Amino acid sequence: MTFRDIVPIIAVIALLAFVPVFVTANTVLNFLVFTLIIALTAQGWNILGGFGGQFSFGHAAFFGTGAYAAALLQVRLGINPWIAFAIGAMAGAAVGWMIGYLSFRSGLRGSYFALVTLAFAEVLRILANAATFTGGAAGVLIKLHVRPENFQFESRSAFFWIALALVGAVLVLTRWIERSRFGAQLVAVRENEAAAKALGVDTLRVKLGAITLSGAVTAAAGCLYAQYFLYVDANIAYGTWISVEAILAPIIGGLGTVFGPLVGAVALHGLGEVTKLAAGSVPGIDLMVFGVLLVVAVGFAPDGILGLLRRLRRSAQLSGAPRHA
Amino acid sequence: MKNMMRPTRRSILRAGAASAAVLAMPAYLRAQSQSVKIGILQPVTGALAQDGDFGRMGAEMAIKEINDSGGLKGLGGAKLEMVFGDARSNPEAGTQEVEKMQADGVAAIVGGFASPICLAATQAAARYDLPYIVDVGVSDPIVQRGLKNTFRFAPGFGIVTGVALDNLVKLNDGAGKPAKTVVLVHEDGLFGSGLAKLMQTELPKRGFEILETIAHPTPARDMSNVALRIRSLSPDLVIPSSYYGEFVLLARTMQQQRIRPKGVYAVLNGAASNYRFVKEFPDAANGIMDCNHWYDPRNPKALELKKQVEAQGKVFAYNVPLNYSCVKLLADAINRAGSADRAKIIEALNTSTFKDHIMPYGETKFVNGQNMGAAPVNTQVQGNDIKVIFPDSFADAKPQFPVAG
Repeated sequence: MTFRDIVPIIAVIALLAFVPVFVTANTVLNFLVFTLIIALTAQGWNILGGFGGQFSFGHAAFFGTGAYAAALLQVRLGINPWIAFAIGAMAGAAVGWMIGYLSFRSGLRGSYFALVTLAFAEVLRILANAATFTGGAAGVLIKLHVRPENFQFESRSAFFWIALALVGAVLVLTRWIERSRFGAQLVAVRENEAAAKALGVDTLRVKLGAITLSGAVTAAAGCLYAQYFLYVDANIAYGTWISVEAILAPIIGGLGTVFGPLVGAVALHGLGEVTKLAAGSVPGIDLMVFGVLLVVAVGFAPDGILGLLRRLRRSAQLSGAPRHA
Repeated sequence: MKNMMRPTRRSILRAGAASAAVLAMPAYLRAQSQSVKIGILQPVTGALAQDGDFGRMGAEMAIKEINDSGGLKGLGGAKLEMVFGDARSNPEAGTQEVEKMQADGVAAIVGGFASPICLAATQAAARYDLPYIVDVGVSDPIVQRGLKNTFRFAPGFGIVTGVALDNLVKLNDGAGKPAKTVVLVHEDGLFGSGLAKLMQTELPKRGFEILETIAHPTPARDMSNVALRIRSLSPDLVIPSSYYGEFVLLARTMQQQRIRPKGVYAVLNGAASNYRFVKEFPDAANGIMDCNHWYDPRNPKALELKKQVEAQGKVFAYNVPLNYSCVKLLADAINRAGSADRAKIIEALNTSTFKDHIMPYGETKFVNGQNMGAAPVNTQVQGNDIKVIFPDSFADAKPQFPVAG
C-alpha cells in the first residue's frame, strides 16, 4: 500500500470532518453519528462478506458483544469507558474467531455458514436476555455523566469526530486488505475456494483472519452505540435489525469495495430521513417510499452505487480516449 | 451561458443574505402566532404501532379539547400546537425525533410508550433541559437516574408489582384463601422475566406455593405445550405476563382444553384488560383479572372520552386516557408557569398538584420525577366488559373469585 492509495480516503474523511463546522444543527449531527455507527458495522461485515465472500447473517453477534462489553465493563466493574471500548473490540474479535473456528473448520459455506451465524446471534440474544449479569431483559443503563474521560461529550460534534476517525481508520485498513497479499488470498477464497486451496492458500487461516478482523470492527461499532445511546438491551444489541443493517449498506454501496459500506449507509439513512421529511405527518408513508426507492436502486444498480458510478464512468470513457490500465 | 452560471462574490453575498432572511423567518412567525409547540412522541410504525396509535389519539384529543375551550389560560389563550414524531418502535428513531422537536422549538415532550424508547428519548431531551413527560415506560431506571427534565405520570414497575401482590393476597383472603398453588407463565422479555423473578421471591412469603415457572418467547405461535403443562400441574392460580398475541393464544387454548384454574391473575398483561380481546373472544376472556394501567371508571369525563373513541370504531385502550391526562398535566404546568420557558415548566411540574386527570390516581405529586399519586388498578372481565375490582375507591364491580367454571 502506498501513500497514493490512501489519498482518496484522507480527502473524504477531511471533507466530512468539516461538517460540524458548517452544520451546527444537532438533528443533522445526531443523524450522522448514527449513520457512521451503521457504516462502521457494515465495514466490519464487508471485510468478511464483501472481500471474503462469506455471507454472515449474524453480525449482531459481534455488534452486541461490543455493546454489552462496553456497557457491562464500566457499569459492573467500574472500568474506564475508553479501556472498556478497547476490550469490547477485542471481545468482538474473540467471538469472531470462535464462530469462525467452529464453522469454517466444519467446512460450512454459503447458506449453511449464513444460517450458523444467524443461530449464534440468536443464542447470544437469548443468553443476554436471560442472564442476570447482563441485566436480563431490562438491559444495562450507562450512567449519564458527561465528561470526556467518561467517553461522553457535551457536544454531538465530538462524538461525530470520534466515529468518523474510526470509520476512517477502517477505510485505511480495508484499503490495506485490498492491496495486501492477505486480501488477494481472501478474494481468491471468495472467487473459488477449491482453486485457492489448490494454489496453496491456507483457506482456513485466511477466513479466520477475516472473521476476526470483521468481528473486531463490528464490535467497535457496538461499543460506540452503547456509549452514544447509553442503553443496551438484548434486542438492541443482538437483534436481527443490526445484522440486516450490516448487510444492506455494503450491498447498496458496493460489495467488496473500500467505500461501499460508507456510501451505502449514508445513502440508505439519508434516503430514510429525506422520505421522512417529505412524507410529513402521515406515519408509514416514508417507509413505503423508502422501500420502493430501494427496490428501484437495487434494480438499476446491481453492483451498488459505486458499481453504478464505475459503469457510468466507463461508458463515458468508451466514447472518449482509450483507458490506461 | 457559462458566464451567467459562474457565481460572483456579489451573487454569493446576495444568496447568503437571502438564506439568512429565510432562516430567521420561522422565529419571527413563531413570535406572532401565539401558540406553544409541544412534542408528541409515539411509535406509530413498527412492532409497537398499535400502542403508538392509541397514545397519539389520546394526546390529540386533549390538545383539541384545550384549544377548543380557549387555549392556555395562563398564556392569554395561546393555542397548543402538536409537533408529532414517529419513534418507529426503536430508541434511535426516538432520539432523532427528540432532536427534531428541539430544532422545532417545542416547550416540552409527552410520550415514548416503550421503556427503551423512553430511556433514550428522555436522555436526549435532558441535554436541552427540555421537559419530558413519560406516558407508559414502566422501567424504573427512567426516573431513577437523576434526570431533572423527566417526569413519569403513570406508575412504574415497582409500584405496579407491589400493588399487584397486595391485591392478590387481599383477593384470596377475602374469598377464604381458596388459592394455594400457582403456575407462572411469562414471556422472556422485560415485563415477563422481571415479573417472574419478583413473583418467585415474593409469593412464597405470602403463603403461595409456586409449582412451576414456564417461560415462552415472543412471538410464540403455539401455546398447547404450556396449556398441557398447566393441566397436568392443575394449579389454583395461573399468573401470566405476556404480550397481546401470546396471552390470547394461551387463554383460548386453555378454554378449548377446558383447563379451569380458580383464577387467572395477570400483571401488566398485554391482553387481559384489552377490549379487543374481550370483544373477539368473550368466553376465553371471561373472569380474567389483571393489574394494569386503567382509566377511572367513575370519572364522567373518562366515560365521555370512551364514548367518543368507540364512536370512531376504535378501542379505548389505557394509552388513550393516559396520554390525554399527560397532555392535560403539561397544559396545567404551562398555565401555572405562565410561560413556555422550559425551566419554569419543569419547576411547575415539580410543584404540581394536578387533579383534573381521568386516571384512578390521587393528586399528582412528583418525587424525583415519579408521580407518587399514581397507582395501577385491578380489573376483571365480567359479563363481556372490563370492570375495576380494586381499589375500592375506584371499583365499579365486586371481584368474582374463585371464578365459576
